Amino acid sequence: MAIEALLEKWQGKINSVTIGATAAEGGTRTHTVTVGGQTALPFLFKEGALPNKPVIAFEIWDCAPDDWPPELATVYRADWSHPLEWAARCVKEYKAGLLSVRLQGLHPDCGNKKPEEAAEFVRALLKKTGVPLIITGCGDDDKDNIALPLCSEAAKGQRCLFGSALQDNYKTLTAAVLADGHSLIAESPIDINIAKQLNILISDMGLSPARLVINPTIGPLGYGLEYAYSIMERCRLAALAGDTMVAMPFICFVGQESWKIKEARASIREFPQWGPEKERGIIWEAMTAAALIQAGADILVMRHPVAAQKVREYIDSLCS
Amino acid sequence: MAKLTVKFIPDNKTVEVEKDRTIASAALSAGVPLNAACGGDGVCGRCRVLVRKGQVGALATGRMSLADMRKGLYLACQTTVQSDLEVEVPAESRLDMDRLSAEEIDRRLKGFYGPSEDVQSLEAAAPVKPAFTGSALTEKLYLELPPPTLQDCISDLERLYRQIQAQKDYIPEHAGLAAIRLLGELLRSAQWKVTATVGKRYGIIELLDVEPGDTASRNFGLVFDIGTTTVSGQLVDLQSARVLGTRATYNKQASFGSDVITRIMYAQKEEGLEKLHQAVVESMNAITHDLAAENSIDLNDVTCVVCAGNTTMIHLLLRIDPTYIRREPYVATANFIPVARAHEAGILVNPRALLFCLPGVASYVGGDVTAGVLACGLDTADDVNILIDIGTNGEVVVGNKEFLVCAAASAGPAFEGSGVSCGMRSSIGAIQKVTIDPKAFAVRYETIGSAPARGICGSGYIDCIAAMLTCGLLDKDGKIKAIDNPRIRATGAGREFVLAAAGENGCQADIVITEADIDNIKRAKAAIYAAVVSLLKHISLDFPAIKRIFIAGGFGTSLDIASAITIGLLPALKKETFVFVGNSSLTGARNTILSEEACATADEIAHKMTYCELSVEPGYMEEYMAALFFPHTDIARFGKK
Repeated sequence: MAIEALLEKWQGKINSVTIGATAAEGGTRTHTVTVGGQTALPFLFKEGALPNKPVIAFEIWDCAPDDWPPELATVYRADWSHPLEWAARCVKEYKAGLLSVRLQGLHPDCGNKKPEEAAEFVRALLKKTGVPLIITGCGDDDKDNIALPLCSEAAKGQRCLFGSALQDNYKTLTAAVLADGHSLIAESPIDINIAKQLNILISDMGLSPARLVINPTIGPLGYGLEYAYSIMERCRLAALAGDTMVAMPFICFVGQESWKIKEARASIREFPQWGPEKERGIIWEAMTAAALIQAGADILVMRHPVAAQKVREYIDSLCS
Repeated sequence: MAKLTVKFIPDNKTVEVEKDRTIASAALSAGVPLNAACGGDGVCGRCRVLVRKGQVGALATGRMSLADMRKGLYLACQTTVQSDLEVEVPAESRLDMDRLSAEEIDRRLKGFYGPSEDVQSLEAAAPVKPAFTGSALTEKLYLELPPPTLQDCISDLERLYRQIQAQKDYIPEHAGLAAIRLLGELLRSAQWKVTATVGKRYGIIELLDVEPGDTASRNFGLVFDIGTTTVSGQLVDLQSARVLGTRATYNKQASFGSDVITRIMYAQKEEGLEKLHQAVVESMNAITHDLAAENSIDLNDVTCVVCAGNTTMIHLLLRIDPTYIRREPYVATANFIPVARAHEAGILVNPRALLFCLPGVASYVGGDVTAGVLACGLDTADDVNILIDIGTNGEVVVGNKEFLVCAAASAGPAFEGSGVSCGMRSSIGAIQKVTIDPKAFAVRYETIGSAPARGICGSGYIDCIAAMLTCGLLDKDGKIKAIDNPRIRATGAGREFVLAAAGENGCQADIVITEADIDNIKRAKAAIYAAVVSLLKHISLDFPAIKRIFIAGGFGTSLDIASAITIGLLPALKKETFVFVGNSSLTGARNTILSEEACATADEIAHKMTYCELSVEPGYMEEYMAALFFPHTDIARFGKK
């Protein structure tokens, strides 16, 4: 006997956000990337439309990272001192369709670059590659508040995704992306209320909710992944039920969180029973990404090309 | 041990104390009221004094800068007496013990509505409230007894009882030995014409007192609302059921801490309970004295006292240790207090007078809430109504004639002017209404008594935050926007907005609202709103099911509904839904003293009310977090998109 599938009907829809602008749209990107637009929970194709697959953005820095573990260093070290080459290699060798550049060099502890230098780097990067860009600051509020508006202006018309607006520091960046036609990452500390409040505060400044992406903040596998997962899931359920103030795509900084932890970094000498570190970090990053995809992640910012490839295959298998 | 002398100026009061006592304790002995919101813990920084002469020992405190100490300023509670001293108490360190103004009392007790406020008074909006029947809790009966004869030779007491039974439908079952001892002589010298005072202790009739002659027309009662901040009292003619006068004063316990928790902690200190007990009784006796003098009545003719107060206040009034109210699982020593003598609690009226304390429900829902339910008639209505008593401890009751549930939420003292930088209680000079011009951000404010502004009271803060939100000075998170305007100043701890500058309209110092103040108010309003929503969820109801929301409390009487909705303290419902009831707890106490039936009803209400402990309610914290936004994270609830 055939069993009838019980299908959920949702009234809400996740906003579509497009990153990058082609020449026809006033930019210089070779293509654009669109995320969001879902009308159902992840991969429940029968319940609604899932027009855009989750995408992977390769994370690069504008300076040599000082805390990336050996396994990542082996892959990228040759290009660390030449971030533009690093970017080019991600696109060429690893088929990155989207780059996420962290302007860490601005940080007082990591080179303390001048804001103008960061803007110059953004300009150069836009020339070097044609892929759409996600641009994030160094995390030092004072410095970011001076530098990011300059970078935003430097990338005017390219429809980048800028980050991150925080509850305590959202006004400067919001005003900049509003003026320069970019989209904005709103970051909240694994807190559904603050996620929504921040979206309201930013919308109150005149930036359309359709130009927002939520960074819910995540913990990697074993470090609070399930907590992040449930916040994302609740957020998505509220959005599909009609709450427009949480109906934004998610961006998850998977690489950044996964490669921080002991399990991804420790050598086999320290923990022989854990197996070779060469595979461990990659598996950790890929596993974290796979779980978050199920929670509704739209953009996965990743580091290791092998992990990225595994996740890409996983996404394709889910969508085929 | 040698005594040292401490002289306080400008009071010119001198007191002898032992070496190493604090200046604060010397001030207490000298009867100089010092402000001590923290109860002497050295954290509120409000008891600054200037040491003019003599040696002191000062404990380190983050509340005083080196510059202040060079000027001779010290925190009285952290500074010890080391030699004879001369200490000046500046005006701002003084606890304002003046009685409230007549206007203020009027506002607190009868309800205060601004001319623009479209709200109905209790009488007009609440036909649910029945007139209670039954006679007052104490009655005076003039009796003319037939003198005993050989044929009619029952005892004097039985003779008295027989006469009472002949005139009333009850017979006393109980009498005090003191009254009986005097009875034989008294009846005969009064030629068998006497006035008997009878009291009704939940159905048991007691012969309280016998007086010669006819004094039946002189029978008075006192009702009190003992609040954490304010004590209100009302003198009632029990014969005619008329209110003769109402007075309010600050609860003198305020010098031991501004909230119940600090007071409970103080009660655990040596002599702490005794001091707290004395302080509240003094406040009540001051009111009693004034009301009696005003009406030229003899305190011996006050035969009954009814008190409504939160559980802690009643414990302290009766000198019952409140320690366990504060400790999990938060248990009071007694919620249903047996009828006692007013005298036993130290209330200076007729020594035989009865003292009723309205029964409480739980450790944080006291007899004041029971009285409020009685006054609003929640327990008799067909429709489901809500009573919200807004204060340091906010209480919420939901129900109708079939059920009553209640909860308490700790809102903190921000609404009562504590823990906020320019906060003050709602007394003379408090900014209570604020409007801000959306273009130039010019501020117009009203102060209580139209006096020069001295600070901001709870309703002033609500009005001010609502105005700042409306004119775009504030984001929904409560952060002041960086707008180039002389009224907006950046400080080390965020921005502040100047409501009144020093020198403006006789204002002594700048009156500002800081981002930290706004955060405090945000947390207080979130606690109250979350309590209301959680309690409704607990019983599977929602606002559309609610007919009326009664708002009570000294603070509530001067609350602007529209502003309260703008900041998300109250739900966005039609204005007609809200009814100000002013001090509903005093009204309930008055109903009780005038009617045995009301007294029995209060008892029933307290028995039938179900207490919901929000701290273990899973949804409460969730609701509270979501309410930490102006007006709310779920903005759709407040009709916004």
